[in-house]
Amino acid sequence: MSDLDDTSRTAARLAGGKPLTLVLLILFQSLCTLFFVFDVIEDLKDGATSLWHLAPEAGATLGLIIGIVFESRSLMQLLRRQAHMERSLGVAAGALASLMDDYFQQWGLTPSEQDVAAFTIKGYSIAEIAELRGSAEGTVKTHLNAIYRKSGLQGRGQLVSVLIEDLMNAPLLGGAK
Amino acid sequence: MSRRIAVWDPVVRIFHWSLVAGFAANAFYTRPGRDAHQTVGYVIAGLIALRLVWGLVGTTHARFGDFLPSLRGVLGQVSDMATGRRRVHVGHSPLGALMIYNLILTIAGIAATGYALTTVSFFGVEWVEEMHEALVTWAEVSIVLHVAAVIIESRRLGVNLPVSMVTGYKDIP
Repeated sequence: MSDLDDTSRTAARLAGGKPLTLVLLILFQSLCTLFFVFDVIEDLKDGATSLWHLAPEAGATLGLIIGIVFESRSLMQLLRRQAHMERSLGVAAGALASLMDDYFQQWGLTPSEQDVAAFTIKGYSIAEIAELRGSAEGTVKTHLNAIYRKSGLQGRGQLVSVLIEDLMNAPLLGGAK
Repeated sequence: MSRRIAVWDPVVRIFHWSLVAGFAANAFYTRPGRDAHQTVGYVIAGLIALRLVWGLVGTTHARFGDFLPSLRGVLGQVSDMATGRRRVHVGHSPLGALMIYNLILTIAGIAATGYALTTVSFFGVEWVEEMHEALVTWAEVSIVLHVAAVIIESRRLGVNLPVSMVTGYKDIP
């Protein structure tokens, strides 16, 4: 158990942040938004409030909501990266994870496809991936087809070799950011 | 292929839907201060008390020990959403558990402030009235969130959660 604790903590460090901080921030801002929304509703009920009072309030609320959306997206990205890095540690893992992320973004993979691709690169079989993700083997095959179609690669071998090639060409420590 | 698992016992289900009916009645139909509003309020307080006891002595997934608040569990569930992994929780999911505690505490607070307003010392006291109303608003926001989350999770996991709260069974794919 403590081994696993260490693993997830190291994974959090390598992924570049603590999700907990983000979760708390999102929660706090959501409560602020709720407060503002009800404040605006109350003001509208009173009727006497001027536009000079309402407009900034509505603007602040909108700003908060946009902030929450962006934070939620980066939280999802952070958790995705941590999930992909479980049990593979060290400097090389950090560099590999960054590289995988970059390629996944470039190919425009969906979150599910990214997950399947990460498992595939680590050498899991289709049956194992289906088991790990709680989905049918057919679904995993569909994801794999999409991955190869979007990346223009021929199969697992090419997928892995693209990453290895980049890792060999780039200085490990400098490349891992 | 799907497994059918008995999850919610009759006490949990009756509690859930009675609470829905009671809350809806007092929020939308009965008038505050009238006998009906107070009677329904007492029934709701009784339901909450029953649920608290059942959380200690009830069946497996009804017990609080089965769904203690867990930060690790919450992060795991959000990670599942972020990666599109489907891991079905048999009882309450970690995020669901937080909502259950929130709703039980909020509704207990509504009942307590509501009762206070019937007593001689707190009758007509403004801050108690405002707190009663604020808690009701918070409960309504929570319920909207709860229903939205149930729909989203049912779709994500392929398990019809509302039906499981009626029949007591979850069909897990």
